[in-house]
Amino acid sequence: MNPEPVPAAPILVAEGVVRSYGDRRVLKGVGLSLHPGEIYALLGHNGAGKTTLVRAICGRLRPDAGTVLLNGADPARTPAARAGLGLVPQEIALYANLSVRENIETFATLAGVPRAKAPAAVRRAMELTRTLDRADAPVRTLSGGLQRRANIAAAIVHEPTLLILDEPTVGVDIDAREAVDAVIRDLRGLGVAVLIVTHDLDQAGALADRVGFLRDGSMVLEGEPRALVAEAFGDQMEILVHLAEGLDMAGEIHLAAEGLEPTRRPGVWTRLDSGGYGAAGRLDARLRQLGLAPREIRVRQPSLANLFSLVAERKAA
Amino acid sequence: MSGRLAMSLAMMRVMALELWRDRAALVMTFLLPPLVFLIFSSVFAGTSGDNLQPKLAVADLARTDASRRVAAALLKSPELRAETAPDAAAVRSRVKSGQVDAGLVIRADPAAPGKPFLIVADPSRAVAAPLAQARTQQALAAAAPDAALRRSIDSVAPALGELTPVQSARIDAAAAQLREKPQPVKDDLFDREDIAGARKGGAVIAYYAGAVMILFALFSAMQGALSLMEERRAGVADRLLAGVAGMGPVVTGKFLFLTAQAFVQAVMIFVVAQAIYGVEALQHFVLWLPTTLAAGVCSAGLALGLVSLCRTRDQAQMLSTFVILVLAAIGGSMAPRFLMPAWLQSLGWLTPHAWVIDAYQAVLWRDAGIAAVYKAWIVLAAVGAAGLLVAQALSRDPQR
Repeated sequence: MNPEPVPAAPILVAEGVVRSYGDRRVLKGVGLSLHPGEIYALLGHNGAGKTTLVRAICGRLRPDAGTVLLNGADPARTPAARAGLGLVPQEIALYANLSVRENIETFATLAGVPRAKAPAAVRRAMELTRTLDRADAPVRTLSGGLQRRANIAAAIVHEPTLLILDEPTVGVDIDAREAVDAVIRDLRGLGVAVLIVTHDLDQAGALADRVGFLRDGSMVLEGEPRALVAEAFGDQMEILVHLAEGLDMAGEIHLAAEGLEPTRRPGVWTRLDSGGYGAAGRLDARLRQLGLAPREIRVRQPSLANLFSLVAERKAA
Repeated sequence: MSGRLAMSLAMMRVMALELWRDRAALVMTFLLPPLVFLIFSSVFAGTSGDNLQPKLAVADLARTDASRRVAAALLKSPELRAETAPDAAAVRSRVKSGQVDAGLVIRADPAAPGKPFLIVADPSRAVAAPLAQARTQQALAAAAPDAALRRSIDSVAPALGELTPVQSARIDAAAAQLREKPQPVKDDLFDREDIAGARKGGAVIAYYAGAVMILFALFSAMQGALSLMEERRAGVADRLLAGVAGMGPVVTGKFLFLTAQAFVQAVMIFVVAQAIYGVEALQHFVLWLPTTLAAGVCSAGLALGLVSLCRTRDQAQMLSTFVILVLAAIGGSMAPRFLMPAWLQSLGWLTPHAWVIDAYQAVLWRDAGIAAVYKAWIVLAAVGAAGLLVAQALSRDPQR
């Protein structure tokens, strides 16, 4: 009989982190841990405290209370602790006139990669991010997706144990997003702990082993995405109704009366219902009766997006 | 090689590659300074005195023998660019429109009592009027000495009393002889002595070589230092601050690059100054080198420090423009400091420009030794070091 695998020690442990800017308390005792080979998505609205938490993890600010340990040491007091950290900013944090290779060489040196090991490290980073075939192209000439991957390459050239990505796929198309996601999965496979700060709930749902919802400086929900969704919605299904765009106010009032809420996509309304497909059929009939014949009605499992809305509603309540 | 030095050199490489691949910036950085230096030198070399040739409009209303000779002498003078005008109104019109620097109206025979000459001056070209006056007096003495003699006799006549017929006859004869065979003009009043080792025209060239050097060193350094803001905006600073080394080596690398950039700019300017105007930079290399390095250190440190104080690129751009223009104006990069009022000259010592210009002049023009320039080196290096320290300290600020 094989012994139970011993769980690896967490790479990142944050406990009770409190941080204020003047009178405003931005973090109110946040905790977070991350293990090798784990992807954690940190979610939350703007102003929830995500950036401050990331800065505390990076050692750029010291918490007023609580602790942050990165590879067992305080990153704000022990620079060596940050040697195992790679940060991928939301912007393309590269030198536009330099080639991919020149950029990664530069960041390898700045990350303290020894000169003798730099060429192999640079090549490995480009291989992992699939940028090797454009190694000598200036960054400014690359597509958005390639720039995103080069942005990641510059952060992993020193083989960090924790990689933090801030909105890694903002502004890129679906193909480019999938390519970035593939890179992130590969890194997880290599044992890298990945912390993604994102508003892209689809990406978080698809990639993350665990997600955390930060709201007003507190971690209000944390866990495995499917389990969280199941726990929050039980047997409820999401009914998506596609209508013609440009509804008048009366039409919107009718939809609201049926429990439907608008989504970000124009003409698409949603509601959670435990009645499943039967409920969808009844809703279709009712809307036709009201003169709001749907173009399409779909039924699907609730997603992180629904959970995100629920968390926001709880705040409003 | 230590890790931090390697990191600083990596940043120097980045700055060099970014500049090399931006051809417009490359031209602005290395070709524009010598070009502007040549323009300034051409403009201001003449104002040193030897080559100043004001344009003068001459109207001879008297049309006497003596007035014609004076007008002709002025028109032939190599020290003027004189042209004839039909009347006083034309002279005034040309001066007012800026076609000429000054005007001369010969209202009466030069030998006649009173004031036969009228100088028409433009206050904005004040130096032209006294020059035109001096050249006219020279022309009178050289081309119409008989008229000058008669004016001299007339001026002393009240003291001598009435001349006897014999004396009057002798004066007439002397005047006729002078008219027939003019004698070279003798200036018995003044001797002239140039300062030891003085080279004609070089003072202004040495002045402007230094003035343009520090002007462009600071301008280019400010542009280079703006990359700090760009790195902040693009997240490069976030990436580096999350690493082991932080921004320290980055700032140091930029400082080294900007110092080296200023050095190359100085080489370009002084090569041109030596090749075209004979400024002896190479002969004074031992003192030129530390002066140039001190100027480069000062411009690099000052630029990094000032840009670090800003929170946005717009702020930095505005501060950069303000600093470059105001310091250059006060410090003497735009107009010679000796033309400034005393209080402005004193204020100029608060700018690196004045120190750099004075140090280069001391080294290249006055052949001064180290005693004349070491203070400038200390001041410039101290300003640069202070700026670097400010940049280093602020680059570590997590809130920025």
